[in-house]
Amino acid sequence: MTLKIIQQRSLWWIISGLVLLVSVAGMALCFQQFGAPLRPGLDFVGGTRLQLARDCAAANCDVAIEPGTVRAVLAEQDLETSVIQVEGNEGQSVSIRTRNLDLEEETSLKASLETAIGPLDPQSTQIDSVGPVIGKQLFASGLLALLVAFAGIVVYLSLRFQLDYALFAIVALFHDVFVTLGLFAWLGVLLQVEVNSLFIVALLTIVGFSVNDTVVIYDRIRENIKLHPERHIDDIVDEGVNQTLTRSINTTLTTVLTLLAIVLFGGETLKFFALALIIGFLSGAYSSIFVASTLLALWRERSGQGTVEVAEPAEPANESP
Amino acid sequence: MIGKQRGLLILILGLAISSVVIISQIPTRLGLDLRGGTQLTLLVQPTEEIPEITQRDLEAVQSVISGRVNELGVSETSVQQLGQNQMLVQLPGVSDSDQARRVLGETARLEFRAQSSGTEQQFAIETQILQQHRVELAALQSGIEQPSEIEPDSPDATDDSAAADGTDAASPSQTAEIEVVQQAIQESNAAIEALFDPADLTGQRLSDAFARPMGNTNRWEVVIEFNGEGSALFAAISRDIAGTGRSIGIFLDDRLISAPTVDVQYAETGITGGGAVISGSFDAEGASDLAIQLRGGALPLPVEVVETRTVGPTLGRDSIQRSLYAAIAGLILVLIFMVAYYRLPGFLANIALVVYALLTWAAFNILGVTLTLPGIAGFILSIGMAVDANVLIFERTREELRAGKTLYRSVESGFYRAFSSILDSNVTTLIACAALFWLGAGLVKGFALTLAIGVIISMFTAITCSRTLLMFVVLGLPQLRKPELFCPGLPQTDSK
Repeated sequence: MTLKIIQQRSLWWIISGLVLLVSVAGMALCFQQFGAPLRPGLDFVGGTRLQLARDCAAANCDVAIEPGTVRAVLAEQDLETSVIQVEGNEGQSVSIRTRNLDLEEETSLKASLETAIGPLDPQSTQIDSVGPVIGKQLFASGLLALLVAFAGIVVYLSLRFQLDYALFAIVALFHDVFVTLGLFAWLGVLLQVEVNSLFIVALLTIVGFSVNDTVVIYDRIRENIKLHPERHIDDIVDEGVNQTLTRSINTTLTTVLTLLAIVLFGGETLKFFALALIIGFLSGAYSSIFVASTLLALWRERSGQGTVEVAEPAEPANESP
Repeated sequence: MIGKQRGLLILILGLAISSVVIISQIPTRLGLDLRGGTQLTLLVQPTEEIPEITQRDLEAVQSVISGRVNELGVSETSVQQLGQNQMLVQLPGVSDSDQARRVLGETARLEFRAQSSGTEQQFAIETQILQQHRVELAALQSGIEQPSEIEPDSPDATDDSAAADGTDAASPSQTAEIEVVQQAIQESNAAIEALFDPADLTGQRLSDAFARPMGNTNRWEVVIEFNGEGSALFAAISRDIAGTGRSIGIFLDDRLISAPTVDVQYAETGITGGGAVISGSFDAEGASDLAIQLRGGALPLPVEVVETRTVGPTLGRDSIQRSLYAAIAGLILVLIFMVAYYRLPGFLANIALVVYALLTWAAFNILGVTLTLPGIAGFILSIGMAVDANVLIFERTREELRAGKTLYRSVESGFYRAFSSILDSNVTTLIACAALFWLGAGLVKGFALTLAIGVIISMFTAITCSRTLLMFVVLGLPQLRKPELFCPGLPQTDSK
């Protein structure tokens, strides 16, 4: 099997362009609704989320918890704007998202809920309370880390390869981050999926994996240029991508396999995390194979380096057989 | 040549065995999101007098917070500084975080109070009772932690937290006993407090406190300095009790932290000049602890609880177990795939992967890495990268075989040629990890750390372990030296 990467490059770019367009549309829609490109979760906007489960050893668990009862309790405390979700097996758990509550408010809310729906089990309770200061800080530090990581990668790749390789690797990275953001923007609009700190971790993981994919292909292209400096860049890129294709597919496949297991059978907390990774990794494989390589070829061709030998790259330290 | 491989093989085997020993001896530290507990972020707010919070201020506040956390009677707590003006408090297992939130968010209160006359005997008795309770409490708490006494040298555990594997929680009867002793300690504290006169000399009038060595001995003392108003008050208090055998009680948050007496020579004037020295049987650490506590008490810095995260113990365990089982199932599929696709090398790579997982796990335990949900994600990702390294090498080996090289040459150049790809891709990942570790917040840090450790170890296992195993087979086991075990369908060399 041989892919004609260069010959069909307009096709690859159109696919990418369309996906990116859909992503941007999703983010625009989100921005209109929530004032942010994604539906921001508790971690970024602050607030209190209580996940409470009824203690079935002490309470009557024959019927599911009524959202109406919970809402009535919340209304007594002027919290009727809160988001209430009954979840868990047979509706014995309830998740309440409110503005940031202080200690007294939280204690009295829990007490009134216990009278309304029965005793709660502290063993399966989860309460997160995030002040607005912390929310901003989590977001800013995550974003800063992401940008510094980008810069570091550009510097390293420019040293080991050349500046243009580094820049196109970053273009591929942005591509993958955007696709993932787009998917979660749509999930936010359609399924009320929120993003939290774990999502930033997912983006970072995607960056790590995607750059990995791109580097492997670039490494092969660099090697081929060295072996056949007289050949045209288009042929070299085509050959390099095809030589590494099995590796790209196998590596992505093995990783996605593990993640798919988490999406299908894993706990709630990790489900969307794993989904973000799967989308990012697939997009990463695509962008490395089809986007980063074709852009490099186009750039080299346009800038007149189509067949000119490039500077000798640094050798790895211990290459002696 | 074969001797060298054998030596490496023994080394790898040794490493794997020591990893298993380490994993069984040193427990893995689980984050609160996995084993349940409460995590609070405290924001130390600047005031008009102290517009900028220095490292020294933060250290002082930390000691105050640590004192309060210890009073909560929870074992394995940790109080860490976070950035320039924040403090991270971790309380494992407490599902009732309300009390913690109430006491931690207060401004420190330091008071210098003269002991009331006629309470000398009473004071001695009460102090002794308190001491006994403290010993009891320590015994009870260490009883719980018995199975996991070894404390890994962790950079992030700044106080007396001990390692725990998260499963040996206190039994209900022990918890009840601890609560009783805890109650008794509070009563003792209150009884002692009642023996001292109320006073106007508070922490706000203390301008500094620091530890210094005493002359040429290896004993230390604590120097305290008051501001103008404070010096006058202190002179008055010290004059009253000088030579009486009663002491000046120094209270932090209503707990007695030190009770020095005053020499008879000051009975006329009191200690004047705004400075005093508390000497006793301090060693360097004791003196510095007291000085830090005093400084903390002197700071009128308000502390606000800005983030609370409470996870019920069962909830954390459930969510992680399901994800972990799913991940393990996924990994087993990956192992099967490797054998099915890459045949003999795939099987050897699987052995290398198992060694990799053991080494990495052992490294987490030795380094005292606290495993959180994102941390596990980092670990899984690093396994992916370890698989990738092997895939790169085997693909290259196959290419060489197809080009008609001998088995030995193909394996050699497979490793040799794949190396630059592996190096570059891993170094870029490490760069990203470094950025995340220095700049990221809690969750992100845990992820970066486990990923970085994993990537470094995977470089070792992919290059050394897989290679040694393959070379050993190629050189030492002629019955397995068949190219078709490495690359099926080889005779039609030009099929691709």
